[in-house]
Amino acid sequence: MLDVAGRTASAPQPGSLLRRPSPGALIRTVVIVVLVLFTLLALPQLLSLYYVDYMTQVAVYAMVALGLGVLVGRVGLMSLGQIAVLSVGAWSAARLLFGTSQPFPLVLVEAGLITMVLGTVLLLPALRLRGLYLALITLMLASAVYVVLLTLNFPNGGHGFTGYNGNQIHIPPIRRPSIATSDPAYFRYAVVVAVLMFALVAIHIRTRPGRAWAAIRQSEPAALAAGINTTLYKLWAVALASFVTGVAGGVLAGAVHYLYSDDFPAYTSITILAVVLMGGAYSLWGAIVAALLMQLLPALLNNWGVSNDWLTILFGIGVVFTLTTAPRGIAEQFPKDMARLGGLLVRLVRRGKPGPAGTPEPVSAPAPAAASEAEAP
Amino acid sequence: MPSWQEFQPFIVTGLALGGVYALSGVGLVVLYQATGVVYLAFGAVGATGALIAWSLISVSLPGWLAWLVCIAFSGALTLGYGMVFGPLLARRTPLVKATATLGLLLILYGAMDLLWTTSGGEVRSLTLPTDAHKFSIAGVQITYTQLIGLVIGVVITLATAAFLRSTKLGTAMRAMANDREITATLGVPVRRVEAAAWLGCGVLAGIAGLLLADMVALDATTLTFLVISSLAAALIARLRSVTLTFAAALLVGLVQNLMVPIPSLSNYNNMAPFVLAVLALLALSRRSVIALSREEV
Repeated sequence: MLDVAGRTASAPQPGSLLRRPSPGALIRTVVIVVLVLFTLLALPQLLSLYYVDYMTQVAVYAMVALGLGVLVGRVGLMSLGQIAVLSVGAWSAARLLFGTSQPFPLVLVEAGLITMVLGTVLLLPALRLRGLYLALITLMLASAVYVVLLTLNFPNGGHGFTGYNGNQIHIPPIRRPSIATSDPAYFRYAVVVAVLMFALVAIHIRTRPGRAWAAIRQSEPAALAAGINTTLYKLWAVALASFVTGVAGGVLAGAVHYLYSDDFPAYTSITILAVVLMGGAYSLWGAIVAALLMQLLPALLNNWGVSNDWLTILFGIGVVFTLTTAPRGIAEQFPKDMARLGGLLVRLVRRGKPGPAGTPEPVSAPAPAAASEAEAP
Repeated sequence: MPSWQEFQPFIVTGLALGGVYALSGVGLVVLYQATGVVYLAFGAVGATGALIAWSLISVSLPGWLAWLVCIAFSGALTLGYGMVFGPLLARRTPLVKATATLGLLLILYGAMDLLWTTSGGEVRSLTLPTDAHKFSIAGVQITYTQLIGLVIGVVITLATAAFLRSTKLGTAMRAMANDREITATLGVPVRRVEAAAWLGCGVLAGIAGLLLADMVALDATTLTFLVISSLAAALIARLRSVTLTFAAALLVGLVQNLMVPIPSLSNYNNMAPFVLAVLALLALSRRSVIALSREEV
């Protein structure tokens, strides 16, 4: 189907969840656990509040990128409307948080489920379309949602279905969970939610749905012939992506306290797609790289007094180059490039060394390939 | 429900806007037919051209020169993009080709915001001299710009249809829409035909940019994403028929503007193109076809 990768064979290894872990998998698990612990415990202490706020956004957008990664990287559905999905999640969560006194995690799950149902129902008829037309229809739907949102406005403590109070004074902030009212605590909360969402997606990828998605991405007719219910599994992917993005919307609502329709312009979907393609839609790490590109980089640039427009330009160049030269994105390209660079340096050092035997080329030639195997996540 | 009198001016603006949508839609359809690229940067290119024209006029260059520069810039930029990235992506799916033009869109969008910053709250406007001349039909004031919008839409549609039907280059383009490889085998200079399509599309982007800057607003965001509305018309015609695109564009323009005087709908009028496109796409694809065709539709 969609060949963003420019090649066909790239199925995730099946069944590795249930098998006894290999040494590589063990190292990977340890790395992930250490990284998560570092993010949870040390990072809020190390960073100023300015960066903690932005890192919360990174956690939110990592979930958004994760959802889009499922669609683009697993099933080959290019969505140009993820910001609309995010805004639906944020809207539902804000409405529930103002309207009810339910605990925060329950609201997150409900926001995810509402978004899931809406996203699935909206895209159900569109699933007959494929490729380009499906991408364009998501762009149209997202633009329509934005127009509705501009009229409807985000709930701000008012009454009625929309919960919008036209009176702009004394707007109560959207509440946070009682255990995470401060910014660093809420950052930790957001990271925990993000880790749960990543785990949810990872489980999907490693079990039956993941294998079905891989089959569909390679060839829908072949998947159909193999007895895979393609409509069911495509819908499943849409539902999962919408759920994850809806939960992200809920976390976003609590993070910013006040939501405005202008925060969700339709073109942000294009930026999201750009960073997901650059980060790499085929690995879960790609989602984190994408979120860092989209949220941490602007924070750094702001700090250095560089205009964010340069970032937009950079993303544009990134999309063009990702599609033409490195279709698998930074998350997979960078370790390979580093391995290649390392191999090159090793060769240079050996050549420069006035050794008696002079190193033969063939010895160092396989090194990059081996290194890339080891370093690739 | 507002009276007929209240609708009348919106019919005029609707037809004028529809004419420009048609112009853009035809450009998008021809390029898609010849090269398989949905040119999502169409609006951004036109917007950049219009802003360049605005800058030239503000340093007191004659208007006609500025408009020519705008059109030439759009044509050259589009041709350049097509020549560099067209061959690189020629064998990829239409989806990848369309996504790559989003990259161009982002580059131009960032550059526009950087060079023509809007944070100062200043409002730019590009007024064509034809705004000042008006005439009226049945009591409705019509500016010449609005007339040009509709007329240019009609002219471009008819000219393109005739061009595709009866000229050698047009025949080559239609052949490439069917099968690029076979067309190349038959000795058609595929690259040159594609270059012609890119250039034509770019010129149309420049004209549309100028007209929309006058009719809607000279604003980078608005103009860049108006391409989505034009695309709606092209999508209703399934990116195939030029005449159908024209009809759809007029319909989209009319519906969008006729919703304005109706109080309960006026806030949602900008939704019209998208909703119409979605409905049309869903209606046209009732049959689910899974085929191993080269063209991913």
